[in-house]
Amino acid sequence: MKRKADVPQGTLALMILKTLDVLGPLHGYGIARRIEQISRDVLAVNQGTLYPVLLKLEQEGSIVSEYGPSENNRRARFYRLTREGRKQLQAELRDWEQTAGIIGRFFELKAEDLS
Amino acid sequence: MKDLRRFLTRLKNLVTRRRDDERLEEEIEEHIALQTAENVKAGLPPAEARRQAMLKFGAVEAIKEEYRDQTGLPFVESLLYDTRYALRRLRKSPSFTVTVVLTLALGIGATTSIFTLFYDVLLKSLTVANPGELYRLGKEARCCYWGGYSQENEYSLVSYDLYKHFRDHTQGFAELAAFQASDPLFGVQRSGGTASAQSYPGEFVSGNYFAMFGISAYAGRLLTSTDDQSGAPPVAVMSYRLWQQYGSDPSIVGSVFHIDNTPFAIVGIAPPSFFGDTLRSDPPDLFLALNSERLMPQADAGDLNQADQYWLDLIGRIRPGAESAAIEAQMRVELKQWLLSHQSEMSANDRAKLSEQTLFLRPGGSGITSMRAEYEHWLQILMMVSAFVLLIVCANVANLMFVRGMQRRRETSLSVALGAHTSRLVRQALTESILLSLAGGMAGLIVAFAGTHLILLFAFPSARGVGGLPIHASPSMPVLLFAFCVSLVAAVAFGVAPSWMTTRVDPIEALRGVSRSTARTGALPRKMLVVFQAALSLVLLAASGLLTTAVHRLENQRFGFLQQQRTIVRIDPGLVDYQPNQFTILYDRIRASLSTIPGVAAAAICQYSPLSGNNWASSVWLDGRPAPGPDADKVENMVYWDRVTPTYFSAIGTQIIEGRGISEEDTATSQHVAVINEAFAKKYFNNENPIGQYFGRPELGSSRNYKIVGVVQDACYLDFDFDKPIVPFFFLAEAQHDVVAKTGADSNPGSHRLHDIILVARPGATVSAAEIRQAIISVDPRLPIESIGTLGEQVSNQFRQQRLIAKLSSFFGMLSLVLASIGLYGVTSYNVGQRTTEIGVCFALGATPAQVAVLVIRRALALVAVGLALGFPVALAAGKFLGSQLYGLDPYDPAATLLAILTLSFSTLVAAFIPALRASRISPSEALRAE
Repeated sequence: MKRKADVPQGTLALMILKTLDVLGPLHGYGIARRIEQISRDVLAVNQGTLYPVLLKLEQEGSIVSEYGPSENNRRARFYRLTREGRKQLQAELRDWEQTAGIIGRFFELKAEDLS
Repeated sequence: MKDLRRFLTRLKNLVTRRRDDERLEEEIEEHIALQTAENVKAGLPPAEARRQAMLKFGAVEAIKEEYRDQTGLPFVESLLYDTRYALRRLRKSPSFTVTVVLTLALGIGATTSIFTLFYDVLLKSLTVANPGELYRLGKEARCCYWGGYSQENEYSLVSYDLYKHFRDHTQGFAELAAFQASDPLFGVQRSGGTASAQSYPGEFVSGNYFAMFGISAYAGRLLTSTDDQSGAPPVAVMSYRLWQQYGSDPSIVGSVFHIDNTPFAIVGIAPPSFFGDTLRSDPPDLFLALNSERLMPQADAGDLNQADQYWLDLIGRIRPGAESAAIEAQMRVELKQWLLSHQSEMSANDRAKLSEQTLFLRPGGSGITSMRAEYEHWLQILMMVSAFVLLIVCANVANLMFVRGMQRRRETSLSVALGAHTSRLVRQALTESILLSLAGGMAGLIVAFAGTHLILLFAFPSARGVGGLPIHASPSMPVLLFAFCVSLVAAVAFGVAPSWMTTRVDPIEALRGVSRSTARTGALPRKMLVVFQAALSLVLLAASGLLTTAVHRLENQRFGFLQQQRTIVRIDPGLVDYQPNQFTILYDRIRASLSTIPGVAAAAICQYSPLSGNNWASSVWLDGRPAPGPDADKVENMVYWDRVTPTYFSAIGTQIIEGRGISEEDTATSQHVAVINEAFAKKYFNNENPIGQYFGRPELGSSRNYKIVGVVQDACYLDFDFDKPIVPFFFLAEAQHDVVAKTGADSNPGSHRLHDIILVARPGATVSAAEIRQAIISVDPRLPIESIGTLGEQVSNQFRQQRLIAKLSSFFGMLSLVLASIGLYGVTSYNVGQRTTEIGVCFALGATPAQVAVLVIRRALALVAVGLALGFPVALAAGKFLGSQLYGLDPYDPAATLLAILTLSFSTLVAAFIPALRASRISPSEALRAE
C-alpha cells in the first residue's frame, strides 16, 4: 500500500496558487489533476477539499473566478490568479525556500561541523 | 489586510444571507463529470467510472458543510440563532422572565445606589490637585472652638498664633493652610441692592488656602497671601453656587458686597467642583481671609489675636518625598516649644497638663470629615443590608434558573439523542442566562439612578445656604459593574449547570427516566438556596422591625418640652448693628409685636431652642466648695447653658418643679439669677435644696455669679448623645450680662445674640408666616429672618437619618420576603410537577386532596423552618450590633423577632399554597397516563 502524506493546511493553497501561476486559468478539476500529477499521487487529496480552499483564496482576493466553456463544452468555473495572488505566491515562496533551506542544512548537519 | 478582506466578504454574505450552495453543486457536478469522462477514456464502464470519480472526490456532504462554514461566519450565525431562540423561549414564559429581570433590577439597583452614597461620603477624595499629598491635623474632627493652653487627647484645633508658628517652622510642608472649623452664617447683601440681607454659610481661610489645594479660579482670582495681611483691603471669594444664585452675573467679580455689614470686594469665583475643605451638606459659599476677621462687627470677634483661642483646622500639602511621620514628630516638638513660650499666660491646670500635649497628622485628601463621622455608622448598616439583599437576589435568580433548566431536561436529552453537541446545548442555556442578566442589568441601571436620587432626597432634604450637596446622584459605575457581574455569575452558573448535567447522562436513560423517576437530581442545591434565603430574610425582617420600633420610641420619648402649637422663628440680630445693651429692648419689642397677632398665646426668645443643633457649655464653680481642678474642662464635667427671655419655660412647655422661671423682675441691675434643671440639682446638690444657693463659672473668676431661683424638668436640648441621660443644664436671663471679675468686661456678649423665637398658638388657631414676618418687620425691617418652621419639624429632623435607615431596611426586608417567597414558590411548584405521577398513585391508593396538599405544604414549611433555625442566631447577632449603634434599640425585642418569623411563615404558606392546590387537583388517571 502506497503511503499517502497528509497535506498540511496552507500547503494546498500554495500548490493551487503555483499551479494557476504556471498554467493560467483552470477549473477546479483541472487544478486537482495537475496537483495530483505533479505530486505523483503521493498527495492523494480528497479532491473535494479543494473547493473550500478555493473559496477562501477567492475571499482573500488572491484569485478570481469566472465562467467559461470546459473541455466537454459545458459551463465551468475557471480560476485565475490576480496580481495580489501573484505577490502572495512570491512572498510565500521566499518564506518556503528560507524555511526549507534552514531545515535542509540541519539535516546535513554532522558532528564535525560544530566542533 | 488579507484576513480583514476575507472577514468583510463573509460578513457581507452573512448580512445578505448569500448562499453559494448552488455554485458548489454545479462545480461538484462538473468536477465529477470530467473525472468520469477521464475514467471512461481509461477504459472503465460508465457506471463504474462515475462511482470511482465520486470516491475520489470524497465526502460530498462534509465538503459542502465546510464550504458553507467558509462562506459566512458560523459562530455569529449560531449566536444569532441562539439569541433568537432564547428570546422566543423567554417570551413564551413571561412570568419567569419578568420575575428574574425584576429581581436582578432591584438587587443590582439597590446595592448600587446605597454603595454610591457610601463611596461618595466615606471614600471619595476632595476635588483638588493630588489629594494624596494632603495631610490634616487631628485624628478626629473636633468642633469648633477650644480655649486654654491644653486640649483633650490631641491638639486638633489651632489658634492663629499657633498656625503661624507651625507654618513658619515646618519645612516639610509645601503649603500649610488654616481655615475656620465652624461654618457660620453671614448676612450677605449686594452693595446698592434693595434686597434685605440673606444668610449664607462661609468661612475664614488663610491666604494660601486655595494655593494649598491647588485649584484655580473659575472667574477673577482666588485669595492670595497678600490678601491675608492686617491692613489689606477686605476681599472675598464666592462659591460657584452662590454666583449662580445671583444669575451668574459677570459683574459680580469686582463688585462690593456687605458681609455682616462690612464691605468686601468679591475678587473671584471658586470652580464649580470645589465644595470647601469639609464634606458637609451646607458647603461654604463665601471665603474670607483670616485677617478680615478683625473687621467683623460680631459681638465676639477678636478670635484672631488670642493665642489660646483655637478655632482653626489645618491642612497642608507636603513636599514631594517628605515623610508625614517625620513632619508629625517635628510638629510635636514645635507644639511643645510654642506652649513653653506661653507658659507665663497659662493657668496652673494647663501647666500641669503641658507634658501630655501631643498632636497627630492624618491623610487629609478627603478633607475634614464631619459628615463622614455623622453618617458612617448608618451607611455601614445600610451597606450590610444591601449586601444581604444582593446575596438573596443571587440565590433567587440561581434558584429560578436552576428550576427552569431542570424542566428542560427532557428537551435537552432529546437534542442529545438527535446528535446535538454538548457545547452547543450549553451555549444555548448560556445565551439565555446572559440575555436575562443583561436585561436585569439594564433595568438595574434605571433603578440605581432613581434609587440614588430618592435616597439623597430623603437623607438631605434641605440645607442652609445655597447648599448643593457635593454628592452626585449618578450611581458609581464600578459598583454597578460589580453587582452586575456577581448576579451574572450566579445566573450563568445556575442556568448552565442543568443543561450540562443532562448532557452527561446517556440520552436514552435520560429520556426514559425523566418524567417517571423520583430521583431528583440537583434537589439539594435548590433546597439549600431556599433555606439560605429564608435565613437571610429573617435577619433582614427582624433587623428592620427592631429599627422601626427604635425610631418610633426615639420620636415619642419624653422630651421635656411640648411640640404642639409651637413655631420656631430663627432670626439673627447679630447681623444688625445693635449695641449689646440694646438687645433687651429689641427682644421686648419683638415679643410685644408678636403677641398682638391674633391666635398667639405666648412668645419667648432664647439663644438656642431644644434640638436646634447648638448650645454653649462651661464648667461650674459651686459657692462654698473648692475651685474646680484640672479635670474641670473635660467633656464629662461640662455643663450646658442657654440664655432666655422671660416666660420662656411656659412658652416651650417645660415644667417648673421648684421656685420660679426667668421673669420680668430679672433686669440688668437686679441680682443675677439662674434656673437649673433636675440633672444639675441631682449632680451638684444631691439632697440639698438648691433654691437660694449660688454658683459661678471659673472663667469669670467667681463662685457667686448666679443665684439659683428655680429648678425645671429635664429637657432634651443636645442633638447628639441620645444614648446618655440628660446632662446638667442651666438657663440665664437675657437681660443680665456676665462680667469677668478681674477686668469688669462683658464676658459673653455673643450669648445675648438670641437666635430662636418660640411662638405658641392658641389651641385651634394657626399663625401664618406672613403675619410673623410682618410683626417682626414692624419692629426692625433690617432684621434677617432665617427660617420659620414648627418645633415638631425641628425635632423630627433629628431622627431623619434613623428614620431613613428604618424605612430603607423595611423596604429591603419586604423585598427579601418577596424574593424568598418567589424562590419557595418556584421550588415547590417544580417539585409538584416532578411528582405528578407519584401524587397520582397516592390518589389511586385513596389519599384525599387535603392529604396531598398538606404533604406539599409540609415540605415547604420544613425547608423554611430550617432556614429560620439557621437565621435566628444571626438575627440575634444583628440585633445586638444594631443595639450598639442606636440608642433606644432593644436587641432582644421579642415582638419584632416574632413578627418577622410569623411574616415569613405566612408568606411561606401563601407561596406553597398555589402549588399545593394544583397538586390536590391532579386527576389520578391523567397523572398515571402522563409521561
